[in-house]
Amino acid sequence: MGSMEIEKIDEKTFVLQMGPHHPATHGVLKLLCEFEGERVVKITPDVGYLHRGVEKLGEHKTYISAMTLTDRLDYISSMTNNIAYCLAVERLLHIEPPPRAKFIRTIVSELTRLSSHLLWLATHALDIGAMTVFLYAFREREQILQFFEKICGARLTVSYPRIGGVRLDVKDRVLEEIYNFMDVMLKRVDEYEGLLTENRIWISRTKGVGVISAEEALELGLTGPALRGSGVNYDIRKHMPYDAYDEVSFEIPLGTQGDTYDRYLCRIREMRQSSLIVKQCIERMPKGDILHPDAPDLDMPHQGKRKIEAGDSLWSGFIGFSNKKEDIMPKGEIYSAIEAPKGELGIYLISDGSGRPYRMRVRAPSFVHISAIPKMCKGHLLADVIAIIGTLDIVMGEADR
Amino acid sequence: MKTILKKILFIDLLKGMLITLKTIFSQPVTIRYPKEKRSVEESFRGRHAFVRDPSTGKERCVACTKCAQVCPSQCIYIDYSINDGGVRTLIKYEIDALRCIFCGYCEEVCPVNAIVLTEFYEYASYTRKSNYFDRNSLLRNWDEFIESYGGTEYLNKFWYLPGIKRDRLPVGKRAPKGILKEIKREEE
Repeated sequence: MGSMEIEKIDEKTFVLQMGPHHPATHGVLKLLCEFEGERVVKITPDVGYLHRGVEKLGEHKTYISAMTLTDRLDYISSMTNNIAYCLAVERLLHIEPPPRAKFIRTIVSELTRLSSHLLWLATHALDIGAMTVFLYAFREREQILQFFEKICGARLTVSYPRIGGVRLDVKDRVLEEIYNFMDVMLKRVDEYEGLLTENRIWISRTKGVGVISAEEALELGLTGPALRGSGVNYDIRKHMPYDAYDEVSFEIPLGTQGDTYDRYLCRIREMRQSSLIVKQCIERMPKGDILHPDAPDLDMPHQGKRKIEAGDSLWSGFIGFSNKKEDIMPKGEIYSAIEAPKGELGIYLISDGSGRPYRMRVRAPSFVHISAIPKMCKGHLLADVIAIIGTLDIVMGEADR
Repeated sequence: MKTILKKILFIDLLKGMLITLKTIFSQPVTIRYPKEKRSVEESFRGRHAFVRDPSTGKERCVACTKCAQVCPSQCIYIDYSINDGGVRTLIKYEIDALRCIFCGYCEEVCPVNAIVLTEFYEYASYTRKSNYFDRNSLLRNWDEFIESYGGTEYLNKFWYLPGIKRDRLPVGKRAPKGILKEIKREEE
């Protein structure tokens, strides 16, 4: 990190180090910006300040315990991280959660998308200079966090899904509250739009800023709203449905220009679609079990190839989980991805038959999106760099892992 | 023409100002925290406690070490002895609350519902030591919590895990009884 230095092109330019502790960089992102006057000549992102070794830590925990690490990747949408991880392990185990669990997961992941987009809208607008939206968006986000508290007892680091289903059932009363809130939410989104969409200051700050064409976006590997803003129709919820997304109908909002304004519109429309998905799910909520019968127990053993011996304190759990086979998990590799609020969140697992992942790799959308900053910022003003960081929706906990 | 007229008349800005003006007449959503307190929801994962069994007045823990095994941050330290009859006796039970990530796996996995994450959340302190709980302080946490608990009967969601098939769970979790607050008062 410290050895990174920018080479000066000539004496006309000057180098500005933005971050790692800058309120507009949304975490500990450091940007080495080289300016000519007020125009950006070159930008070099410097990541790694929040590295905690999540992937390595995952190799030392059982599959169940490693799920709690994924809460801390993208800490404002922890529910989708958990679901991404659980789906990967479920696909490794060839089990599928029961329908009720699938619907609950869809509800909570869409609520997470709402809360993540609300936080994005709040901070993005605050960076550009609109403070009212910040206050309004946090009002609704608080409500969503309260629903999480009602569902699982935690607000931010939820650890709510579980391999093979979810941990707790949701009460009908809570579902009703969520349903009623979604009607309010749709009105609130109109409010945000009323504040921003037609606002002349907002338009002049966002239109034509950070333009990225569809080809460039695909080359850089952008996903999520950052890609859809450029008009590429790619949404894993639609193209490789997981959970209950194949049973609900929704649209994928697409942009045309690929600038900050289009990405803003995309996310706003996505918030509406999320509310509608939640409503559909609650209407069609099936009754029944929430955990697959072959799902691993919480206290699954971590040593592989364990012989069953009477008197062993873990034997009952072992039988219950591994179905009297010698291997605890099936061997193999799996990559599974979901549509997290920020983009494609992929989990790659290698299993060697033991109760711990041999390798756990996270394909984090934020990390890929950071690589787009140099291209998008080129030729823009210093103030636009802030807008571009905001529009990419970066969370450093996920980028550095 | 229409857009030019809109621009001249500041329609776009006035539209936003109308929304902010409406908000003036609505009730505030914020609270003044230390004076007013937000009530936490059922089964909130807060400070740790050992459930004081109303019948024995002691903790319920049977030293099975399942919680220490499943804990992702490995913040539970247990020591126990086994006597000739095979009965385990708890010697040491310590939780480093500053390492804890409040995932609730310990209370979910506990077969006798001994450990619980209470709804008590104001335990920030100036010393690290005061958030390192041993057996006695865990029991004290429970006493503090049940005294401040609003309802009459306390039953944590993680004690019976709604929605999961009963035959999957250990016997103690299939139909646990709530802990009544009145009983404790009568004993005192």
